[in-house]
Amino acid sequence: MEKFVAFAIKYGFLIVMAGSFLGFGLLEPSFWSWSNMFSILLGVTIVGILALGVTFTLIVDGFDLSIGSTAAICVMISSYVMVVLNLNYIYAILLSVLLGVTIGLVNGLLIVKAKIPDLLATLGMMFLIQGLQLIPSAGMSIGTGMMLANGSEAKGEFAQQFLFLGQGRLFNLIPIPVIVFAILAIIIYFILQYTKWGRILYAIGGNEKAVKLAGVSVERYKIAAYVLSGTISSIAGVLLAARIGRGDVTSGGGLLLDAVAAALIGYAVLGVKKPNALGSVVGVIFIGMLLNGLTMLSLPYYTQDFIKGVVLVAALIFTFGLSKSEI
Amino acid sequence: MKDKQPIIKAINISKSFGVTKALSKVNFDFHKGEIFSIVGANGAGKSTFIKILCGYYADYEGEIYIDGKLTKFQSPRDAYEAGIQVVHQSIEQGIVQNMSVAENLALEMIVSPEAPFIYEKKKIIQRAKEIARKMDLEYLDMEQNIQDITQSQKQMIIIARALARKPKLLILDEPTSSISDREASMLFETLYRLRDEGVSILFISHYLAEIKKISNRVGVIRDGKFGGLLYQPLEISQIVKKMVGNLQSVLERSYDKKNTKKLVLELKNLVIDGSSEPINMKIYSGEIIGLIGLIGAGKTELAETLFGIRNSISGEIKLNGKSVNFKNIHQAIKQGIHMVPENRTVNAIIPEESIKNNITLPFLNFFSKYGVLLEKNEIKASKKMIHEMGIKCEGYNALIESLSGGNQQKVVVARWLLMKHNIVILDEPFQGVDIKSRRDMSQYLMENTKESSVLMISSDIDELIDVTDRIMVMNKGRILSDERTSQIDRDKLLSLITQEG
Repeated sequence: MEKFVAFAIKYGFLIVMAGSFLGFGLLEPSFWSWSNMFSILLGVTIVGILALGVTFTLIVDGFDLSIGSTAAICVMISSYVMVVLNLNYIYAILLSVLLGVTIGLVNGLLIVKAKIPDLLATLGMMFLIQGLQLIPSAGMSIGTGMMLANGSEAKGEFAQQFLFLGQGRLFNLIPIPVIVFAILAIIIYFILQYTKWGRILYAIGGNEKAVKLAGVSVERYKIAAYVLSGTISSIAGVLLAARIGRGDVTSGGGLLLDAVAAALIGYAVLGVKKPNALGSVVGVIFIGMLLNGLTMLSLPYYTQDFIKGVVLVAALIFTFGLSKSEI
Repeated sequence: MKDKQPIIKAINISKSFGVTKALSKVNFDFHKGEIFSIVGANGAGKSTFIKILCGYYADYEGEIYIDGKLTKFQSPRDAYEAGIQVVHQSIEQGIVQNMSVAENLALEMIVSPEAPFIYEKKKIIQRAKEIARKMDLEYLDMEQNIQDITQSQKQMIIIARALARKPKLLILDEPTSSISDREASMLFETLYRLRDEGVSILFISHYLAEIKKISNRVGVIRDGKFGGLLYQPLEISQIVKKMVGNLQSVLERSYDKKNTKKLVLELKNLVIDGSSEPINMKIYSGEIIGLIGLIGAGKTELAETLFGIRNSISGEIKLNGKSVNFKNIHQAIKQGIHMVPENRTVNAIIPEESIKNNITLPFLNFFSKYGVLLEKNEIKASKKMIHEMGIKCEGYNALIESLSGGNQQKVVVARWLLMKHNIVILDEPFQGVDIKSRRDMSQYLMENTKESSVLMISSDIDELIDVTDRIMVMNKGRILSDERTSQIDRDKLLSLITQEG
């Protein structure tokens, strides 16, 4: 029995995932097609990248609620730079990433230096960014040829190279965002798993004081975790802007919860019980696959959030409920 | 005391976890009006036995008789109803924060299912006062918040609450681990009184000196088996012998005393804070120095200054003849000053990590290249420390939680002995550590302190006499004495430690 539980904790999630992969394919053969595989992956890239970002803050026993709104403001900024300011797309990318770094840095300073609890600091920041993103365009979405406040028409447009980042495909098959997601995932997995920085981040999450007494500048690592979170979120924002090709003021909705859910589901993968890069990626793909498969079997779209919630709760039971509890 | 029937009799108690037999046919009985202590090395089965007595394990073998009646404990509730009250080690777990003293004392009234729907403050205070009387706690302000009273007062409240249930057996699990020596002696006075009033007390402690002082009888558990009973007059050596068998009587230093010539650390008129006096100290290579003093004597502050946690006000720290001034811990470590902090759970252990990751934590720069960890080197180093310090574990990848307290402490000490250093400071390294692990660590330090030196901080004189070459007494921020351990007069030292002014 004990062995069974241990096995279930470790491989249960992956077995369920493999099972649903088989099940969907058997019921609906087109599920297994390459184009569908990549459409699942493409569907989860933005949320997946955000989940990787929030993983860093979860590891240091923190939290970043501002990831979704950071991505959203980067959608607006890159659109504004190209459409309204009529500048090169390179500036759009640079400015977005710079903004992500800044937001992360401010979050980090608020938490580490001003000692505001992480949830509250990033909640405040989330609010602030959501408001800030509306200001340059006076609350309107930004699109090619939009009317500006002074009555003239915006001259700029989305650069083709920029749109390629979101809509292009390598070999006419693999979507570019999927490639970006994969590269980020591999780099982050490597950092967390095989470098001293990853080891220290995890140690800080375990016992901050002990790490401090081991001579590590814990403050710097924690700030770095938030800066990474902000930066990664801004990359997600750039890809999202390139994908939808306009500065939609509502584009950030739902990103935060989906990303956090994926990262939390990730705790259950291989029974590690900790935030981890592989888990976050697997978690986000699992949700994407499930929704894709169920939609093919004509599940109504309005049940999607319910399905995500069920998966999250089940994964949390895997992670926390099945482990032996101490008296 | 031996004339009467025991009120609780535990016969042939056994318990297995999977294939490992934690307890095998252990017999103890508890009498009215006596203090009974159970001792055993970590992992001997002491806590398993106590948990059975408290009803945590339903699947034990053997029989428990209460007042001559066979009772089978299925849950902690059963033990509680049968009159067994436990005061757990952690004081914080025994009280409810954000509640008043009275509410904590009369907690039963508040949480009981029969409690009236409307909160009756007067009745609660009245009941609390009744309970407080048992422990002479009437002087406490019943309405003040529990956070505003001292640790030992909190503990007294927990004991008073347990006594209000008129227990047949009162179990005190490591009650002195988080209170000062003075508070401990007050606790003992209370225990004597309770004993004389007929309460049966089961006392558990790592401090054998306490056990010796207060117990009427001592029961020993050794490797899960009954290890014998000891009666007053008790001798510590005799208790140790029953616990772990024959240890090498005196630990031997294997280093050559003539080598202790190089001055490693020198403190010149070091002033740590505004109210303390200048400290002068010289520590030579190969020396193990003991620093003893009461809580608040300034030992930890001194250690923190040496380790770069706090800044000194004036004076000089010289390391190998060079003046140093550390701005942070990182700089201190770089100069070869290592420190094992007190209270490993709070200050040292990284939970849910392997032994290896716990050992190498401060030296990841050494164990990595361009930031990438060189795991092979880490494994090699950890294996070496596990072997040399005799850390009992399943391997370097075992989680730290899977180790006994003593072995966890060895891991923490190993962390700081792993790399070459000038001096290692050990702050209360033997607190809550069983005697076997203590010996292992002492042995290791004695054999391996050659080029470097050790500064061991403790408030237990016997711990220091065992290992050190020299002992310094610190009192109110001053070094009052500095003598070779071999020439120490224990009583004189004790009076220096406690003297006022």
